[in-house]
Amino acid sequence: MKKKILSFVLLITISITLLSIDDVTKNRFLPLNTTNDLKELSVLNVLLELGAEKPNHYVMESNMDSVRMGYQMVYYGQLKDKSNTKISKFFVCTDCHNQVIEVADLSKETAEERVTYGMKNGLPFLPASTFYGLYNKSHWYNGDYAKKYGDLVKPTRDTLKNAIQLCATQCSQGRALKEWEMSAIIHYYKSIEFKVNDLNLNESELNQLLTDLGTHNTRSVDVLKRKYNSINKATFGKLNPKEPDNYSADLKAGEYIFKNGCLHCHGMGKDITNFEFDNDKLTLSFLESKLKKHNTYSVPYIVRKGTYAMSGRKQYMPQYPLEKMSNTQLFDLISYIKSKSK
Amino acid sequence: MINKIAVLVSVLVAGFSYSQEKIWDTFEGTRGLSNHSTEMLYKRNMEFRVSHKFGDIAGSNGGLQSFYGFDNLADVRIAFEYGITDNINIGLGRSKGVNERIGVVDMFGKMRLIQQEKNGKPLNITYVSALAFSYHKASTDSTLSTNYQTPLDRLIFTNQIIVSRKFSDRLSLQVNAGYHHRNLVTYNDVNGMIFTGGVIRYRFTKTLGIITEYNHVWNRSSLTEQTNPLAVGFELLTGGHNFTLVVSNHKGVNENVFLSNTTSDWLKGEWRIGFTINRRFKL
Repeated sequence: MKKKILSFVLLITISITLLSIDDVTKNRFLPLNTTNDLKELSVLNVLLELGAEKPNHYVMESNMDSVRMGYQMVYYGQLKDKSNTKISKFFVCTDCHNQVIEVADLSKETAEERVTYGMKNGLPFLPASTFYGLYNKSHWYNGDYAKKYGDLVKPTRDTLKNAIQLCATQCSQGRALKEWEMSAIIHYYKSIEFKVNDLNLNESELNQLLTDLGTHNTRSVDVLKRKYNSINKATFGKLNPKEPDNYSADLKAGEYIFKNGCLHCHGMGKDITNFEFDNDKLTLSFLESKLKKHNTYSVPYIVRKGTYAMSGRKQYMPQYPLEKMSNTQLFDLISYIKSKSK
Repeated sequence: MINKIAVLVSVLVAGFSYSQEKIWDTFEGTRGLSNHSTEMLYKRNMEFRVSHKFGDIAGSNGGLQSFYGFDNLADVRIAFEYGITDNINIGLGRSKGVNERIGVVDMFGKMRLIQQEKNGKPLNITYVSALAFSYHKASTDSTLSTNYQTPLDRLIFTNQIIVSRKFSDRLSLQVNAGYHHRNLVTYNDVNGMIFTGGVIRYRFTKTLGIITEYNHVWNRSSLTEQTNPLAVGFELLTGGHNFTLVVSNHKGVNENVFLSNTTSDWLKGEWRIGFTINRRFKL
């Protein structure tokens, strides 16, 4: 009899333990009464609650110490106390990646929207995707990046951690991240993941989401996923692009791209590149004189091809895919250079 | 009263700490032509420099017989320079040397005190302290400046303060003043020399400029044949490299050598072609 009672107690204990573990892995929200309660929720956690699959970089809860360390490595290339070595001696992440939303509507992450929103908010105009919401993407180094990195992109396409390692070792010509560094950066990414409020859901969609969360109805999954790009496409443009039909120069856009794009890395005193310049007539005349050349001093060539790492000069410039700078914008940049060089 | 002083101090501190837009690229490199400029290497940047001077173009040692100096080597210096911070640089070099001062190892420390700003500080001010040591075998001839009796006799010092201003994208000017000291000199020479100099740079394009550099020693002994170093050259920026082509009367390429060892005269055709090429690396 005693054995039966002991076995029963043991069974109950194991069952409670297992149920507790399951409970932790689920995403339980506080009671949601109004649509306002929804807005600060993590988009990924809402999707998981609705039955979506966890990504392989999933972090259940942000650890603020890890977020802080990840932030420092992204902005400074190492921890501020210098207890780890620099990831790259050439670049930090913010040289190529913004850390904020770059467009007003996340479902329209186009080059045109980047310029409009960037000009309005004074954002750097950079060739790589913003880290804001990178945690919510499902595919990395897409499209034509295979032309630049070959088979190296294969393991990165469905795994964020592999994409980060490729960026650290190839794009920034630095070292591979250690496990704790990778963990810290993922925690930092989680801290700037999409919130429901970022998706611009209308009141009807919010009400539907509120209802669906209560009933675990999966129909809102598609609605949410349509509100942002889960894949950032990358198409490399031609080195000698033709002027778009009916092109009309937008010099303000060109000036914005030059000052917030080119000068972001090439500006005087930045020590990021080997070729520093300013928004002065001497520089603009020089760039104007090289426009027709087929070399790295030619703006269309360098924008579309970038440069490549070589022996003795490892750091290189990434190119702007068409999704980051359209041909119209490239011609706006060229028009600005021409207008200021005379 | 204490409150007023506190407010005044706060205003002054805020005024000085207000970040102005800095002016960069007063000169393309850390040298005008042979002497230092106010430019500095960035933190953790290392520069490898090779400077070379050929023989006399004309005069008794020049002409076709020496292919206008290209067959002769006047001086060559190989050096590594490093940015400890954006405002503190150090360097170590070795040069062949000229006249009796041969086999010269030199080193320097350089500190930027003030950087020109767009609407603030009007000038760049940099201080350079350099030291050179000739390791060549001592002469037994007591009339020569190489009759070293102790290691200290081999030392040469040059300290100078350099002031420059970038007037426009094209025009930059620099003046320098300093004290040059050789521990051992000949009986008819002076140990300490006070010198001033200047550099003018004019850029034709973003990557091509012309530079003139002159240094004048004020208390040179009239019993020596020394002359003041004058150079004219072009600088060519190639991105990561900075190539300088120079024509000068001085053979030496280091300030510890050319300030007191220039004996060539422009008017006698005793001028030569030289070049400097450098490459910067990030460490």
